[in-house]
Amino acid sequence: MNIHTYEKLWLVGAMLLIVGFIATVTYGAVGVGVTMIDDSEETIDPTQLDEDERFSEPRVEQVGENEYDVYVVARQFMFQPDPIEVPAGSDVTFYVTSADVIHSFSVAGTNVNTMVIPGEVSTMTVEFDEPGEYGIVCNEYCGSGHHAMEAMLIVQPEDEFELEEGEN
Amino acid sequence: MASETSKRELGHDDFDPIGTLALIALYFLLLVFLWLFMYFVEFLGNEPTVVGLI
Amino acid sequence: MSAYIDDFPEEAAVIRAAFWSSFVALAIGAFFGLIQTLHRTDIVRIFDSTDYYTILTAHGVFMVITFTIFFLVGVFTWAVTTSLDRGVESLRFTWSWYLLMSLGTVFTAIPILAGFVDSIDMSADVLFTFYAPLQAHPLFYIGLTMFVIGTWLAGADWFRSWWAWKSENPSERIPLPTFMVLTTMIMWYIATLGIAVSILAFLLPWSLGLVETVNPLLTRTLFWYFGHPVVYFWLMPAYLMWYTLLPKFAGGRLFSDPLARVVFVLFLLLSTPVGIHHQYLDPGISEGFKFIAMTNTMFLLLPSLLTAFTVVASIEHGARQRGGEGYFAWLGALPWREPAFTGMALAGLMFAAGGFSGMINAGMNINYLIHNTLWVPGHFHLTVGTAVALTFMAGAYWLMPQVTGKPLASKPIALFQTVLWFVGMTFMSNAMHRAGLLGIPRRTAEPQYEGFEFQAAVGSVAELDAQVAIGGTLLFVSAVLFLWNMLITSFNRPTETLPSNVIPEPLSGSDDSPAVLDNLKLWTLIAIVLVVLAYSLPLASIVDRGGLFGPGGDAFPVRLSPTLVAQLLVDTVQEGLR
Ligand code: HEM
Ligand SMILES: [Cu+2]
Ligand SMILES: [Cu+2]
Repeated sequence: MNIHTYEKLWLVGAMLLIVGFIATVTYGAVGVGVTMIDDSEETIDPTQLDEDERFSEPRVEQVGENEYDVYVVARQFMFQPDPIEVPAGSDVTFYVTSADVIHSFSVAGTNVNTMVIPGEVSTMTVEFDEPGEYGIVCNEYCGSGHHAMEAMLIVQPEDEFELEEGEN
Repeated sequence: MASETSKRELGHDDFDPIGTLALIALYFLLLVFLWLFMYFVEFLGNEPTVVGLI
Repeated sequence: MSAYIDDFPEEAAVIRAAFWSSFVALAIGAFFGLIQTLHRTDIVRIFDSTDYYTILTAHGVFMVITFTIFFLVGVFTWAVTTSLDRGVESLRFTWSWYLLMSLGTVFTAIPILAGFVDSIDMSADVLFTFYAPLQAHPLFYIGLTMFVIGTWLAGADWFRSWWAWKSENPSERIPLPTFMVLTTMIMWYIATLGIAVSILAFLLPWSLGLVETVNPLLTRTLFWYFGHPVVYFWLMPAYLMWYTLLPKFAGGRLFSDPLARVVFVLFLLLSTPVGIHHQYLDPGISEGFKFIAMTNTMFLLLPSLLTAFTVVASIEHGARQRGGEGYFAWLGALPWREPAFTGMALAGLMFAAGGFSGMINAGMNINYLIHNTLWVPGHFHLTVGTAVALTFMAGAYWLMPQVTGKPLASKPIALFQTVLWFVGMTFMSNAMHRAGLLGIPRRTAEPQYEGFEFQAAVGSVAELDAQVAIGGTLLFVSAVLFLWNMLITSFNRPTETLPSNVIPEPLSGSDDSPAVLDNLKLWTLIAIVLVVLAYSLPLASIVDRGGLFGPGGDAFPVRLSPTLVAQLLVDTVQEGLR
């Protein structure tokens, strides 16, 4: 089989591209520390969220000095809690599950984005350095009211933040 | 097998696809540039991003 | 030297039927596409936003199932019969798979379209991905199954032709177009196993009320097991035409037969073990499996990058034979007035752009940026929506006369149509990509939300919406012009002066291809091993975590199950008797 010299050159170029892409992605994972949504949580019965210690009361919870856990339930066609309020300068871990169909939990204009699958819990940790307000949307079709499924994420200035009791 | 429009017939050995090489080299450069731009500017600049539990 | 219809009048009839099924789907799909673009940009609204998803389901299913695959079976039948130079083994068999596919389409379409009529208690507003626990009427799943079985039989038809041909030509190489068809079909058999299991073992019994629950992550994973290779199933007939017809239109010959075979073998091997790249953001799948899918996917770029070289070199060969000179000036020597050539060349150009946005999609962590945003439809309207669709339309300008014996109604309009598609898609797709980067979601009826607004860094969201709407409208006009041309062609007077149906010999021919490339059994075996390696652990882990039928949950929309309906009937009757 004879391959033209130019085509061999291109073959080398193509392999360089492929290896370069894989290297960049690996750098993002190892160097920058971007982690993927994974299978670290147990499965859960979506019809029994009321019984679940974490999701019966969707909420923001302080778990360390600058660390917060947020338990979010996505359901047709809303997110709970709404708004989600966290302080700037904190590490926030989101635990998101669905009470019914597949949704997403996507903070518009950022890289915070996960699918939400009934029976599974998505977890992701995010550092919020600056105060700000973000819209949260569901970007997976979930039924006829899908376009109305939204919430707000408010990152408060550190000194103004107060965790309300029984916040919902 | 030359069609009506063809002015000359080029066999395998008298044809070097130099134009193709030129085009594809441009494409290669474009891909490298756009990839770097998308990854390092659009993506990594679009904070906050999901990071591991530290 | 004669047109296809002169040699194979009966096969030509089947191909015509397949093409027309495809074109009808294109007509419906393009109409819904227009409605979507105008609706989601809030420019013209005919339907409620709640009906948007019925329209989107129809657009998705008609475009990527019916339009593409009916055209594919037509092209593949043409390619096999032409390159083996023999008709199908049994016309009855050929017509029967065509009919099964058609019936399947109708069955699928009924519950989708019934979604528009509130008084009919039937719907399939599940989009073409039908993720459980969204549930469609059983007829939707039954129709899809019939359609897929139809394609299996079509594949069997082409294999039969090849076996018959081989017994008469034992020492010859598989002709290249037939080789492409066979490798594509092997890939398709492996790929469709995923939805066959998903539908037959889970979704259909569930929609019939035979099982209570399904595991949404499992059925979703099975969908994407099929969902990635299906994109290559759409693409392969376009590649087949780029490798066989496009060099001929350009006035040249295919640059290399061996590399074309290598490319198709690579697609067979690598198309399937990558589907998890659609699930980078799914919970319940470990990061390791996602990383493996990412590396496999990146290597799957190789056959497409090789294709770019081989196809462009074949075109360049044409240009040089036509007297083209220089590094770039030869491009001017190409037959840009030929709609079949120009359409395919523009389709290939858009594929180069779509290839780039696909590389971004494939990049695992960068997927956070664009996953399920408008970027994604922006991407696949370049690939399936142009590289495939425009190549099919351009191919039809040459193939329709071949299978009807009638000359194309209007060449200038055909040329204009291909350019218009290119321009419309440039607007629509570019704006969609940019909107996606702002986080604007796909599959959404509204351009903005109530609590906040999407902000554009450059330009404005309104400007992007306008581009989507203008682009979509141009695309719709282009589709109408294409369909009109096909229709008038069908009513044209037959002519004796059609170009003959021959595929020129490659520059570097099949004698130069190592014989092992034609060893289909070997490649099939390796393909299966790769799929088992890529999928057994992820699937085992998903089943182990959530169970075959999932950790529980209801179906949506909640509908009356057959047992409930029976109970209701009994109750009413008893009530009446009292
Ligand atoms: C007349 C030309 C077309 C127009 C105006 C058009 C318009 C659109 C628009 C605006 C969307 C996005 C809807 C959304 O996410 O909210 C869409 C989705 C889609 N289009 Fe097209 N399109 C056209 C042609 C095509 C073609 C030729 C194909 C494939 C062969 C195609 C396949 C799809 C698919 C698969 C989706 C996604 C459906 C889903 O998300 O479930 N379209 N189209
Ligand atoms: Cu939704
Ligand atoms: Cu894919």
